[in-house]
This record gives sequence, C-alpha cells and structure tokens, in this order.
Amino acid sequence: MSVVPELLARHRERLSGFPAPLQQQFEAGLRALAPRLTPTQLEMWSQSGIELTALSLRSWEAAVEYFRAGAELPQTVDWEALETLARESVSMAAESAPLAMSFLRAAPAAARELGPTHLRQWADLGRRLYKGNWKSSSLAAQFYDQAGPLFEVVRLNQAARLVVFIDELSRHSYELASACLTTAPTVLGGLDEDDRVPFISFATELAQSSWADSRLYFERGVHLLQKVHGPARERYLTLAAQVARGHNRSAFQYFEETANAMGELEPDDHFRIIELAEQLAPHSAFAAMDFLVSVPTVLSRIRMDELDAWQDSGLRILQMSHDGGEAYFRLQSTRGEDVLDTLSARVELSKVGEIMRLYCKALTGRNLSLQSSAALTEKGIGWVDQDRASTEGTTIFLPESMERYHDKAENFAAMKVFATHQAGRIEFGSFEFSTDLEPATLQSRLPSLMASRESAAVTAIEAFFDLFPDRKMAADLFTVVEDGRVDASIRREYGGIRKALQRMQQDALATRSDIRKLPLRQAFVENLVRASLDGDDAVRFPKTHREEMEQGLGLLGAAFRQGSNVADSAEATFALYRIASMIPNTIESDDEDGDWEEVEAPDTGDKMSVDIGELGGEGADMQMGDVAEGEEYESPDDVDFRGDFKPELVQLLMKLREDAQGGEAGQQNPQQLTPEQLQELLEKSAEINLDAMMEGDIDQTTGMFLSNLMKEAGTPSGDKENKKGDPTGDASTGEDEDEAPLAPVVTIYYYDEWDFRAHDYKPRWCAVKEQKLEQGEENFYENTLKEHAGLVAQTRKQFELMKPELFRKIKRLPEGEDFDLDAAIDWMIERKAGGSPNEKIYWRRNKIERDVAVAFLVDMSASTDEEINKRDRRPDDDDYDDDPRKYLSWWVSKRRQELSSPPKRIIDLEKESTVLLMTALETIGDQYGIYGFSGYGRDNVEFFVIKDFDEHLDNAIKKRLDKVTPIRSTRMGPAIRHATHKLMLTDAKVKILVLLSDGRPQDHGYGRDRTEKEYAIHDTKQALNEAKREGITPFCLTVDRAGHDYLKTMCEDIGYEVVADIEALPSRLPTLYRRLTE
Amino acid sequence: MANTTYQGHKVHAVEEYTIEEEPYYLAIGDEVSLFETAYEQRIPVLLKGPTGAGKTRFVEYMAYRLARSHSRTTASGESSEHRTPLITVACHEDLTASDLVGRYLLDSDGTRWVDGPLTRAVKVGAICYLDEVVEARKDTTVLIHPLTDYRRLLPIEKLGQVVEAADGFLLVISYNPGYQSALKDLKHSTRQRFIAIEFDYPPKDLETEIISHEAEVGKDVATDLAKLGEKVRNLKEHGLGEGVSTRLLIYAGKLIAQGVPARRACQVAITWALTDDLEVQRSIEEVVTSIFE
Repeated sequence: MSVVPELLARHRERLSGFPAPLQQQFEAGLRALAPRLTPTQLEMWSQSGIELTALSLRSWEAAVEYFRAGAELPQTVDWEALETLARESVSMAAESAPLAMSFLRAAPAAARELGPTHLRQWADLGRRLYKGNWKSSSLAAQFYDQAGPLFEVVRLNQAARLVVFIDELSRHSYELASACLTTAPTVLGGLDEDDRVPFISFATELAQSSWADSRLYFERGVHLLQKVHGPARERYLTLAAQVARGHNRSAFQYFEETANAMGELEPDDHFRIIELAEQLAPHSAFAAMDFLVSVPTVLSRIRMDELDAWQDSGLRILQMSHDGGEAYFRLQSTRGEDVLDTLSARVELSKVGEIMRLYCKALTGRNLSLQSSAALTEKGIGWVDQDRASTEGTTIFLPESMERYHDKAENFAAMKVFATHQAGRIEFGSFEFSTDLEPATLQSRLPSLMASRESAAVTAIEAFFDLFPDRKMAADLFTVVEDGRVDASIRREYGGIRKALQRMQQDALATRSDIRKLPLRQAFVENLVRASLDGDDAVRFPKTHREEMEQGLGLLGAAFRQGSNVADSAEATFALYRIASMIPNTIESDDEDGDWEEVEAPDTGDKMSVDIGELGGEGADMQMGDVAEGEEYESPDDVDFRGDFKPELVQLLMKLREDAQGGEAGQQNPQQLTPEQLQELLEKSAEINLDAMMEGDIDQTTGMFLSNLMKEAGTPSGDKENKKGDPTGDASTGEDEDEAPLAPVVTIYYYDEWDFRAHDYKPRWCAVKEQKLEQGEENFYENTLKEHAGLVAQTRKQFELMKPELFRKIKRLPEGEDFDLDAAIDWMIERKAGGSPNEKIYWRRNKIERDVAVAFLVDMSASTDEEINKRDRRPDDDDYDDDPRKYLSWWVSKRRQELSSPPKRIIDLEKESTVLLMTALETIGDQYGIYGFSGYGRDNVEFFVIKDFDEHLDNAIKKRLDKVTPIRSTRMGPAIRHATHKLMLTDAKVKILVLLSDGRPQDHGYGRDRTEKEYAIHDTKQALNEAKREGITPFCLTVDRAGHDYLKTMCEDIGYEVVADIEALPSRLPTLYRRLTE
Repeated sequence: MANTTYQGHKVHAVEEYTIEEEPYYLAIGDEVSLFETAYEQRIPVLLKGPTGAGKTRFVEYMAYRLARSHSRTTASGESSEHRTPLITVACHEDLTASDLVGRYLLDSDGTRWVDGPLTRAVKVGAICYLDEVVEARKDTTVLIHPLTDYRRLLPIEKLGQVVEAADGFLLVISYNPGYQSALKDLKHSTRQRFIAIEFDYPPKDLETEIISHEAEVGKDVATDLAKLGEKVRNLKEHGLGEGVSTRLLIYAGKLIAQGVPARRACQVAITWALTDDLEVQRSIEEVVTSIFE
C-alpha cells in the first residue's frame, strides 16, 4: 500500500500545474488499480498518464480521462489491456486530444461490452474514421462515444462493417455519416442478427452509388426488410447490393419497390423467387430487380410453379438482348405478355386427367385409363412421338399440357377434342377390323379377296395391309379414311363438341403445306386429308386428273356416311389405293396456276351401298398393279388433334393380351404367336424400321420392342421364346408357360398434403398407387394359425362374446309396436282420476346391429425389416465392450444363434397379428379391409390391397398376406387419406381406422429434408383429423418405443398405444380392437 | 268409407285407391305377360332393378291392366267396373311388422284396433306393393312368408286372428341390388318365395321413346338425352354409385321442353342430382357439353 502515496508524491509536482481534477483522478485511479497491479505496473501506468499531459496544450484533459478510466475499468481488465489502452491513448492524443478523450471516456463501457481483449480492434475502427481534420475527428469521437449503446447491440465484426460504411459515407458527407452513426444502434438493433452484415453491406454499396439515399435506407430499410421472409433476407440484400454495385443511381428506389413487392408474396416462395432473380442478375441487374417488382402482378395470373417457365423465357430473351429482356421483366413487352397469356391459359393433363378419363370412360363404356403420351413412348412398344395423342386400345394417351390458345377454356376444349377423337376410335371401332366384318355403306370386296390369298398375318389388319405393295401409302390412306370417319361420327353423335372440333379442323387446315409443291400422288392423299378435315374448299388438283380426284372424294364421302364401320374404311382405302397408284408421283409444272382447280365430290346420293367399281375404276381386276412412275411416296403432314394411329400395333397388342388371358384360364390357344410371326409383324411397321435403321441394329431393336410388347400385353416374355425355340422343351402342352399373372392393375388416386408452415394444403400433391398385393404362399396363413393355436381359440372366444344381442326392448315411447302394459295401466288410472296421463305407453324392439367397418393400415416400410432381438438388445447388454476381438466372437455366436432359428422381424409380427385379427373379425362378422403401404416420394405412394372391404377371405387373400414385406418409406398422410376414402365407401355406421406402424412417418420430400420430422408428423396428424371429421375413429398403434414423443403430437385427441413388448403384438391387437368397438 | 274430396285434392282410403287412367308403360321384354301369368297363378313377384327404371310405374300399369281383364271376366253385365286396388308401402328402416299389420290406437275410452296397409290389402284382395323391401326391418319380411306360399294367410298375432287373403290379393316387392351390402340383402327364405323380374334401364331407342312421351320433347332431344343416359351409365361404379335413371332423364327433358337451355337442364336434373363429387360432376358436365350444344 505504500506504493500509492509514493507515486502520488513523486508526481505531485508534475501535476500541480494542471487543474485540480487531474490530481484527483490520478489518485482515484491509483487507489483503484493498486490492488490489481504490481508496483512496477502501477508505476508504468502512472507514467503513461503523465506522458499524456505533456503531449499538447489540451492533452491534460485526455490524461484526466485516462486516470478516470483506470478507476472505472472493470475488474476483468488485466495489465495487458491496460498497457494497450495506455499505448493507444498516447498515440491517439498525439494526433488529437479530443479523440483520445472520447476514446478513453468510452473505454470502460467498451471493455464491458466487448471484453478487454478487443479494445485494440475497437481503437483501430475509430482511428479509421479519423482523417486528420476536425470533422473526421469528431466523427471518430462520436464513434467512440457510442461504444456503450452500439456494442450492446452489435458485435465487433458487425461494427467493423458499419465503420466501413460510415467511412464511405463520410467521403461524401460528414453530416450524413454522423446522422447514420447516431441511429445505427437502433437501426441495427431492429434487425435479426444474421441480417446485419448484409444490411450494412448493401448500405455500403448504396453509399458508393447513391450516397444521398443512405439516410432513407437507414430510416426505412429495417421496416422494408421485414417484408422479406427471414431466411431469404440475406440473399435478397446480397442481390440488392449486387444491383447497387451495377452503378445504379436508383438502387434504393429499387430496394424499396422490391421489398414492397416481396411483402405481397407468400413468404415460403421468397427463396425461390430470389433465386430466380439471382439468375438474372449477372445479365442485367435491372432485369433482376424488375423481375422482383413484377412478380406479384405475374403471380396474379399464373401459379408459382409456372413462374420458372416465365422467368426462363425472359432469361432467354435477356441473353440475346438486354433491352428486350429488361422490357420483358418490366412487363412492357408483348412477348412477355404472350408468355404470360400462354402460361396462364395452359391446361395441364395432371390437373384435368381424371375428368378426361371419366369422360372417355363415359363415352366408350370401357374401363380406360388415361396417361400422358410420354408414358406411352417410354414403354418402347412402337410409339415414338411424345407429344401426340394416341391410344393402344385400353389407355388413352394425351399430351402433357395444352397451350395452343390464350384462353384456358379454349385450351381445355382442345384437350377435350384430342380426347374425344381417341375415345372415338374406341367407340366407333377403329381397331375392330376383321374379315368377318361386313361394310355398311360400301360394297364388300375385301373379304373374298383376302380369303383368296394365303397370308401368314397374325391380325386381320396386318393381312389387310399385306395386300398393298406400298404399305406406307396404304397405311396413310387408311388413317385418313378412318380418322375422317371417326371425326364424322363424332360430329354426328356429339352436337355439343362440333364447334370445338370444327375449330381444330380449321386450324389444322390452315397449317397444311402448299399442295402445289407436292408431287401428284402425294397431292392426291393431301387432298383427301383436307377433305376429311371438312375442308372441301381447300381441295386443289390439276384439271388433267380431275376425274380421279372426284372419285377419291366420292369414296371418302361414302365411308363417312352414317352407319359406316371400319370395314368401310378398309374398302375405301383399297379403292383409293388403286386410284392413287395410277397417279404418277411427279411434280406438276407449276407455270400455270390455272391447271389446278377446285374439285368437288360427286353427289352419290343416299345410296346405302356404293359400288366401288363405279368409283374405283374398272374394278374387275383385283390385282394390285405396279405403281405408276414418279418419286418415292412420302406421307402427308400429321393432323395433330388426331394423334398417332397404329391399328396394326393395337390389334397385335389386343391379340397378345387375349393370348395371355387365354393362358391364364389354362386353355391352350391354338393360335399362339410364334416369335417369328411377331418379328415379322414388327418389322413391317414403318416407324420401327426407321428407328432400327438409325440404331443400326435391327435385330436388337425389334427384340427390345418384342419383349416390351409382350410385357405390355402381360405375356410371359423372353424365356418363353427360348423355350419355344428349344427342341427339347415340350412346347405342345404350353401349360407352364402361360401361368404368369397379368400385370397388376394400378389405380392412381391423388390426395392433398398438409403443409403446416403454409397452413394450407398442397393440392393433389401425392399420388397413391393402389394395387392388389401379389400372391405368395398360402401356408403362411395356416402356419400362423397353427403356431398361435391357443391364442386363436382364446381370441375367437372373446369375440364370440361380443356378438350383440339382436333385439332390445325400448319402453315408454310415444308410439311403437304395442302397449307397454304397465304404462298403459298407469295411463288409464291417471286418466280416470282426471289427471293428464303420460302418453308414452308404447314399446318397441330396437334392433342394434353391429355395423362396423374397420380398415387396417400396415406399415410396410423398410424399417420393419429390423429383427426383433436386435431391437431388444440394449448397449449395456453387449458384453464385448469396445474390444474388437470380443465383438467378433460375440457377433459369431449371435450369428450362429440366428442361423439356428431365423429371427423374427417386425413385419413378421405385424403379419401374424393381422392373421389373428382376421380370424377374430371373421368370427364377429365386421366388414374389414387390410392394406399395406409404402412408397418413395410424393408421386409414388404405394398402397397395397391385401383384402378389400368387398372381398371375402379366400385363398388368394391368404396368399397375398404372405407377400407383405418391407419395401421403402413411410408416407403416412396419403395412405391414411386413401384408407379414409375406402372406409367412406362402406356404409357402416361405425368406421374405424387402425394404423399399425413401427416408427414415425418419413419419406423423401416429406419435410424440408430427411431429418425434419415436423412436416411429416403434421401432415399425418392432419390426415387423421380429416378421417375423424368424416366420422371415422382412427387409432394408431406403434411398436416404436420412442413412439410416445411424436404420437403425442400426432394423435392429440386420437387414441394411440405404444406396444412396448413387440412380441405381445399378436395377442394385444385383437384385445385392442375389442376395446375400440365395444 | 267413401272417397272424400277436399279443396282440390282427392283422398282415398288405401284399399280403395285404384288406377283410373292407363299409366304410360312401354314394355321392354315379356314382363307384362309374365306378370299377368304370375297374377293368374297368384305367384308373388319380386321386381329387381335400379332406381328410376320403371318398377313402380310397371306395377301401376299392371294394376290397371289386370283390373280391366278382371272386370271383364267377373263383373260381366254390371256397369260398375271393379278394379283391383293397389296399395303401395314405401319401406324404410324403421318400418316394423305392426306398421304393416296394424296396431291398437288409444281411443277416448280405451283402445281401438286399426288395420295396417297389408291387412287391408289382404282383406280386399288388392295388389300390395312393398317398395324397396330390403330397407324394412328383417322382422317384417318374416311376416309376409305365410302370405307368399300356398297358405295365403296373414296371422294377426295381437288379435289372435288369421286372415285369409281375398282372391285378388298379390304381394309384389321390389328391391335394388345396387346397394348390395351384406346388411341389406334379402334373406334366401324370403327371396325364394317370389319370381323375379329384372328391370334395367331400357335400351336406347326405347328410352328415347319413353323420354319423348313422358317429357313431351322432340325426338332429337329425346335421342340426345337417351345417349347421355347411356354414356353416364358407363361411369357406374367409377365415381357413380348408380347410373342416371330414366326418371332423371325425363326430368331433364321436361325442363328442356319448358325452355330451359339443354346444358343447364342436364346440369340440374342430371349432373348435380347424381353426385356431389366435383370431379365426377365435371366429367359428366363434359359429356353433357359434348352432346348438347
């Protein structure tokens, strides 16, 4: 303690020349520091203060602050920090005493907020603002002065950014810089931690490009920024900074506009929208910002998922021309407007598919399915064009979207015309050509002709095309006639769609290529196409061949008449082919346009039967002559709304399907196709040939088509051929070959999914694919019953007791079957006594029917593959510690144990429990359905029917049970929704849904990432609530020990149970069910 | 119990209600002669078929026809024509045996027995038509057993009586196999007491004629409506529980005849009447717009 007076004494003289506070503060500082410092340190500290007084005229004031700081600095400040402080203040005071004063005055606060170790960095930040003049000095001083409030809010690195900004701003205006600095603590305090640095970065950019806006930014920025979704803010600011950097004087204005625009959008979309803007920014910052400003307007017309397409088409323009692209995103270009119109008017198959399917089903009366054309080409069975409609007899394929017109209704109408034409092919029998079919409006000549020829053809249509040397032309002619006939029939039968059809026909006519440039024979076919499109006015042909054209049109007209069938088309094709083959396929000199004139069909009157001889030239000779000279024939342009027409392939498929079904029934089909026949048929199809040629390997390609086709038809493929080709194989019985089951029928249902973040459903989000589970072995069922014989008997007995009594007498009713004698006597007495008797004197039997339907949903996720002993094994049970050798021996012994008795998996117990429950339910007679579910991703939720409500327990179902196996993920929501749907179809009074699972819901895309649990749980919860709303009693049963955690959330007021002892599941499940329904 | 006429409407005692005017009925097959033969032989008849296919109309028509032939043979020379009354009971799930047979009602000074419609039909020899019989409680179906075999008796337990059926009595029941469900099915012991005549929607050309007659619309509208009927029925089991009935098609026709635009008429009479499922509605709507302009 003696050191303090000593130092005081030593420096008294030196300090006596200064005002009194210096001395006082010195003493106070000394006394405060003395306990913490060694005498030497204390002396050095004193020395620095003394040094300060001598630096300049007013530096003694800094010294006062220095000594005061000594007293006020927090206890944590060690000698090292004190030394730093001394060094910094001395050097600072040498330049500017007021600066050092501010620094020292704020130092205690800064040390408290930042910690003593950061004092130096803090000093540096302030020094950066000091430029040697008094304005900068006062700015730097202000910075130091604000240490307290500032560092209460921000961290040092954020302050560093702030200083960069203030520094930048001070180049332009010290006043502004000072003002911003003043508000900084409040402004930054209003921001989320993560947003601060980007916020200041943008401010810095702003200070560089349009500094005057900085104050506005500081005033309003925080508020504006709140409009941007939190996680997206940083990227948004970075983007905005990028724009400002692009020497944009109106950066703030843009910032304000875009922020306001973002405020109008769904927060969840912000991320994606900013991402899209970021893609534009490298090309043009203006475009990126304009894009953001325009988004709300754009989204009022199109959906969020269409925004990508709109941005993409703008981006492409932008890449070519900046001005063009910028105008596009400012919504000031017709092109942008067009794209918007198209997008907003687009009709997507995924949205209208189900309507179209039912529509086509109604029209045809067949159980059709409907898919996108791409699905057909993927099958690889001969169709190659992804965008054209078509049908293969059981499914109608339509393009994925329709964006032909600027109006949704018109696009829908176009889609409907597409669908109607394909349905028309089925309804009006385009694929039903056979030699037995008599033509209705044309003279019948083909049957006899075809009968006279030996043909190895498999299908009738193939035999028909075999008649023609130029197969391609014959196919084209047949297509024109048949498509035209279908259109004509549609026009006749469906008055309502006529207008839309006409429009499509006219559009098709408008885009046909110039007929005068075509060689004559092709022009002939082209004219037929035009006529079939109801475009008789567009028929042009040279005068010299007028007669042939007239005959052709006449034939067409005859084939289109009411009552015509596909055989008429074939007859017409035959006659047309003969006419066409006589026309040379040469280009008519087009010097004189006058040579081409309009041709009209001759009036054939109402004769029901048209003599082909009359129209098709001298028809006595039925042989196909050589084709007249000229260029090689090429097909006319496609008519898009009619799509692809492949009668040969369709008939082949139908034949294959028939064969496959014949095989199912165990019949021997004498006309089974040989592979050679198939190959031949396939090679005849022009399109396949073309493809194969391109591939350069015909055999391989046709081979592929072959197996695809067989697969499509459900015929056992591949090895079957080998067997047939194999001389040792017994091909004559054909017994074992035909047993392969038909491909399972998959029905797709769409369900919404609940997004708890958006508090809304995602419409038609999940595709549930329902199919019957394949059949396995039957003995699984029986074995389970044997294994649990005791339990079975017990359960059965319990359930017998549940059978309700059929009748119960209800008394005291105002009306009923008969009097209740007691009540009637009371009534009489009361009445005689003059009172007002109780009129409720009847009784009736009330029949209580047990009217229960229950759906069991069995989790077939991969996790159910887990073995039970493994689950039961607790870490502390393992006696191998961490020693690898011990582990190995443990593993070996375990493995041996497993091999001796195969371990049971969760799924096995699920199955066994189900069997037990089934026997119980059979006893009691409740309606029940058993379903399994699994899948991967939202578009592939597999829903397996093990037993449907309307099925009876038979061997097939017992066999299906065996096939319950772990598959993939657990997307519970859609499975529950589908089971709910199934339950709603029953008319039971009590409906129960039991969900049997082994863990939490989980799937790809079922949440933000694989580890997120909330989304899946919320959706499942929502699905359960939906079921409840429908009057269903849901119940969740899990064997997951951790189940309580999430089941509590998932099943708020819904019953659930965690079966801790998994092995008890088979006995527990029936008991639970009983409790549920009693 | 004479018929009384209140303001503008006639009230009949059930057993006295007869069909005075010939109902319109277009035979689709041999159902008319079959029914006549069955009636002559007093074999009870079960009419099976979907709703709105003409079962009730058929019974009315037969009641009218049989009455005529009946009067010709029995009441020869007498001016007052005797018609066979038709007693129709629409069955519902709370219909009990006493609702059919009769019950005691309270009177001022005790109780009074009132015959139920079945008893009345048995007594006067009417055709008793139990519509949608599966809807009724199972105990009612047991009740009709003795009436439907050679005995032709109705025991009235509460009165301790057995009523012999009058000569003209015949029991006709109808049921709709469309609601096939384990709970709503006829017991075999009941089923096998009737001959069954199946009803389905008439073929297109006959349906056209029926619509045209009943709705008083032109042939072309009737054809389109019949076509619509055919198409919509294709959707049965796929979104629709039951196909559109001839009755609904007639309603649509009536609306069109009164000037309601065809598409709108079909919407209210068919699309919306058939289903609440928006997607199916939309599909039917598309069929409608394809057929009607």
